[in-house]
Amino acid sequence: MSARDEFDARLARGGRSDRLFAALTWGAAASVALGFAWILVDLCIGGMPRLSAGFFLESPRDAGRAGGILSILVSTGLLLAVALAIAVPLGLASAIFLAESLRSGAALERVVRQSLDVLAAVPSIVFGLFGYAFFSGLLGLGSSILAGGLTLACMVLPIFVRACEQGLRAVPEELLQGAAALGLSRTATLRHVSLPNAAPAIVVGIVLGVGRALAETAALVFTAGYVDRMPRSLFDSGRALSVHVYDLSMNVAGGEASAYASALVLLAVLLVINATASLLTRRLLAQGRA
Amino acid sequence: MMLRSRRPLLFLALLGVAGCGRATHAAETVTVTGSSTIAPLMLEIGRRFEQQHPGTRVDVQTGGSGRGLADARSGLADIGMVSRALGPEETDLMGHTIALDGVAILVHADNPLTSIDRQSVIDIFTGKLATWGSLGGDDSPITVVSKAEGRSTLEVFLDHFELESADIAASVVVGDNEQGVKTVAGNPDAIAYVSIGAAEYSIASGTPVRLLALDGIEASSASLAAGRFPLSRPLNLVVGGAEEGEPAKSVARSLIAFASSPAVHDLVQAQGLVPLSN
Repeated sequence: MSARDEFDARLARGGRSDRLFAALTWGAAASVALGFAWILVDLCIGGMPRLSAGFFLESPRDAGRAGGILSILVSTGLLLAVALAIAVPLGLASAIFLAESLRSGAALERVVRQSLDVLAAVPSIVFGLFGYAFFSGLLGLGSSILAGGLTLACMVLPIFVRACEQGLRAVPEELLQGAAALGLSRTATLRHVSLPNAAPAIVVGIVLGVGRALAETAALVFTAGYVDRMPRSLFDSGRALSVHVYDLSMNVAGGEASAYASALVLLAVLLVINATASLLTRRLLAQGRA
Repeated sequence: MMLRSRRPLLFLALLGVAGCGRATHAAETVTVTGSSTIAPLMLEIGRRFEQQHPGTRVDVQTGGSGRGLADARSGLADIGMVSRALGPEETDLMGHTIALDGVAILVHADNPLTSIDRQSVIDIFTGKLATWGSLGGDDSPITVVSKAEGRSTLEVFLDHFELESADIAASVVVGDNEQGVKTVAGNPDAIAYVSIGAAEYSIASGTPVRLLALDGIEASSASLAAGRFPLSRPLNLVVGGAEEGEPAKSVARSLIAFASSPAVHDLVQAQGLVPLSN
């Protein structure tokens, strides 16, 4: 075999393995998309027949088999509002502390960082039991939207802080040096340079947090509770959408159709939030460039 | 309830929020917590009770029978929901059975079998008996239909036949009763266990399935209500303080009386459960 032949043979082999590799990666990517499409189609087939305008305008009847999900949507919205109202200011402040603490390895920074890592890894049922013992029990909130929202805030916090911190750390050094050269105070630098630059990351953090909060079931059964009537205040018990889906599919005979429809709504809400966030991020980025 | 009013001030001070107290909640509230099997039924009973007693609120919370027992004992709930018979160490609680959850063995209508005994059920569901031959059918392989983990029917079934869920050699795992019935209706070699209420409903609407008598005892809601059919469990409302007599709250007492009355039998049946005979 001549050197030329050998070269051609190797090239051909290489081409085969390249093609194989391309096919594998393509297949893996396609299966991810396929998985999502399958869930979406399955939910649509199961849930569409049950969806109507009334489904959004009525509260559940007959253990959720009839009626709609209005009170559930209101409770879910209130839970999210409470969770974000607590987690966003607290998380943003913590992220600023972590990103701005220049002497890396300071005692408080280590403690905060480790706490966040542990919190991020804690299973949600543990948050649920903590919320049940602390917010519902010790603080006397009982089964209420406030107790559920505060529990969700604890769960969202680590994700949110991490996203914000990364955003703040990614602010270009030249901008910070420029601000320092102009004699801007640290607060002014933060307000006019760091935060606007980190805005897209903060939005991403909020979206990730909202996603986790909307998907949460276990922690909410014990804190926000199971009551499916329209909440009159934050001290009332209220059922989240994910708890509703779980209950209909596991405990209610003949609840399958409503479970599908509610799950479809949950998915739609998540998609809308994601779309809004990416739109917002793009706009913020465009503003930053302008 | 008690839990709610214990230390709200501490919390308000903590958040620095004032003026959103719950003075508006003048309505009398009954808190019912416990078994997730009973919860959807109790929610509907509570709704009807609220309509008949304006000014009352029935708050239902889930978390399992264990929580129902604990909350009824500690007084965190006025009423606990427990989906099994009370044991000898639970005499401090007073139980009121409001419905029965019955499970029956289901086969296709073309299956020649009409009755089955305990041992055969165990052998089939553990995979020791693989074909219908030895039970008087043809030699076709048995399709074992079991329930997904967490289903109350699975618990009743395992409990009665003294099996562990890992022992079950299932060919098909289904979610709810309706799915179980559909699977059997579409497969003449299948066997499943489903809620009696759901199976009777399907049979009445013409689905080609049959309930098997168990050890000679007819599987029907009638024999269940009469206390003859063994594969079942009682769904109880429990209240604490049996030694001191009835619970303090009269509204809790009337809710229990209402939940045990024929006025809610339609709600019980809508859940695929069997009301007690009068």
